[in-house]
Amino acid sequence: MSSSLQCRSISKTFGGLKALQSVSVSVKPGQVVSIIGPNGAGKTTFFNCLSGIYKPEQGEILLDGIRINGLAPHLICRRGLARTFQNIRLFGEMSALENVQVAQFSHQKKNPLAILFHNPAHHRREEAFLDEALGLLEFVGLPDVANVWARNLPYGSQRRLEIARALASRPKVLLLDEPAAGMNPNEVGEMMALIHRIRDRGLGVILIEHHMKLVMEISDSIHVLDHGESIAEGTPSEVRSNPKVISAYLGQEAPN
Amino acid sequence: MNRGLRNTLLGCLGLFAITAPFIWFRLDYNTTAQTVELIPALSKGVKFFQGLLPVFIALAACFAWQRLQKKISIPAAAQRSGQWLARQQQNPLLLPAAGLLLFSATFWLDAKNLNYAVTVGIFMLQALGLNITTGMTGLLVLGYAGFYAFGGYAFAIAQILIPGLPWWAALPFVFLAGGILGWLVGLPCLRLRGDYLAIVTLGFAESFRELMRNLEITGGDKGISLAASSKFQGMLGLNGLQSSYVFTLLAVILSVFFIYRIYHSAIGRAWIAIREDEIAASSMGVPVVRMKLLAFALSAAFAALAGQFTACHVGFIDPASSAFEQSVIVLAMVILGGMGSIPGVLLGSTLLYLIPTLLRDQFPSISDYRLLIFGIIMVVMMLYRPQGLWGSKRHQLELKAGS
Repeated sequence: MSSSLQCRSISKTFGGLKALQSVSVSVKPGQVVSIIGPNGAGKTTFFNCLSGIYKPEQGEILLDGIRINGLAPHLICRRGLARTFQNIRLFGEMSALENVQVAQFSHQKKNPLAILFHNPAHHRREEAFLDEALGLLEFVGLPDVANVWARNLPYGSQRRLEIARALASRPKVLLLDEPAAGMNPNEVGEMMALIHRIRDRGLGVILIEHHMKLVMEISDSIHVLDHGESIAEGTPSEVRSNPKVISAYLGQEAPN
Repeated sequence: MNRGLRNTLLGCLGLFAITAPFIWFRLDYNTTAQTVELIPALSKGVKFFQGLLPVFIALAACFAWQRLQKKISIPAAAQRSGQWLARQQQNPLLLPAAGLLLFSATFWLDAKNLNYAVTVGIFMLQALGLNITTGMTGLLVLGYAGFYAFGGYAFAIAQILIPGLPWWAALPFVFLAGGILGWLVGLPCLRLRGDYLAIVTLGFAESFRELMRNLEITGGDKGISLAASSKFQGMLGLNGLQSSYVFTLLAVILSVFFIYRIYHSAIGRAWIAIREDEIAASSMGVPVVRMKLLAFALSAAFAALAGQFTACHVGFIDPASSAFEQSVIVLAMVILGGMGSIPGVLLGSTLLYLIPTLLRDQFPSISDYRLLIFGIIMVVMMLYRPQGLWGSKRHQLELKAGS
């Protein structure tokens, strides 16, 4: 089966700093691929390259076989790649529901006459979109905060709202940037269940996460980045026992 | 005492403290002694309260209104579709009654007040337009008067080139031309953000003014006087002024409808999303540049419309209509009323035009301090009520009655 998303040797430099060096990651539908690595390893830079915020200098990003690197972020989103942000970037002064509705933009018809005069067909479409948005809020476990301003939601709910918003763009591949950061064990468990449900919808998920228990339990494969380089990849158990990974995380053993 | 009430009282008190000295005292130049004297102007004590009364009534009314509106939370089970209403329920007679009252003003307002009402309407058109860029999309535009003057000049020149051109025939073209100009000005500007965008738009308005002052066809500083056939004319037994009022009222009502519908569509949500977080918006599929250009073009189109209405109402257009002060007043109306809020900017333009004007009628000296008062009101608003008098409140889900 062909991959949903294939990234082949992505490179990105900032001035003299090599933020990413030839990183290749691919994910299939219904698969969770995790990217781990110390702080500053280039994980978020990798996401920014995928979602179009940065333009990678080298390499190729294919979504269902179609090249998407170099496209503007909104076009990449329209092709079916959605993301969340490490530092939550919700639309603070919009309600939770509206946050989700914004991401439906690329699927909505913007016929000026329909917008002005609300013909029955337009009304039906809007109702279907509203229903979908409410369904997504329910899906991520926020059924009763539709009217609350995103800014006023508790932290954990904001993380989940970001996921609902990303799903509203009907992605094929979802990029999650530290969805469990700062959560207590209970919330981490719920987040894990949510990621399982997303995977079961047939989406490919790429996950950046520091929470090792979550990563090890949920991932089909893991990539380890360090200083912008992919130093290891494989199943959770392979990665766990890889000496390079241990040294990247814990440092080198002192010579005797 | 709860916070809302305290803020309300503080706001009223602050406004009073700021305006009172300017009303109670008057600076006068004593020609014999060559000194500036402070003269108490309170001899007209009764009129003073008349002058200030509208402020209090308006403030009290809008705060009372906000307090009456309560958020309604929906139980999870009732959220499925089919059980919601998009808009807050309101008395179905409210809008027709308000419309009737406004239209009937044609007959019960005297000429002077009708004139004020037309000007308020034209300011409303501008504030509604500026609200699209500055209020909804979050782009600070300081040169809005440039588009306004453009509308006036475009029509004035068109009626020179095509003698006898009636205002209604030119209206769609002026609207369209304003939109195209807005798009063209927006194209290079939108790479800039915040202060830089404000400065560039300001530069546009200033250069437009200088251009109008120096071209031959625009009549230099004197501007252009319109032919009588191109001004608003009496119809159906109404005199010229009365029909001006009816046309302006119609334009405002249609514009409110137009902007309201766009605001509550995917496009309006995209604008607000851009204001809240541009990067997140583009990552969610919103074409940021295109949406900003659309906001720019639409808002310029409304400014041009207002410009044409001014020209048709007053009968002439001059370079002063592109002055910085004109832009600032409209911006102040949007900020005072509530950025992003349609009823807010309507309220803001009414208050910020009527209060200074009515005060000036009673105390001619006050107009010297007008900009100073605007500035102070803006500072106080930012401190105590940054969301404006009537903050934006987009529609919320509500339960259908009986479900």
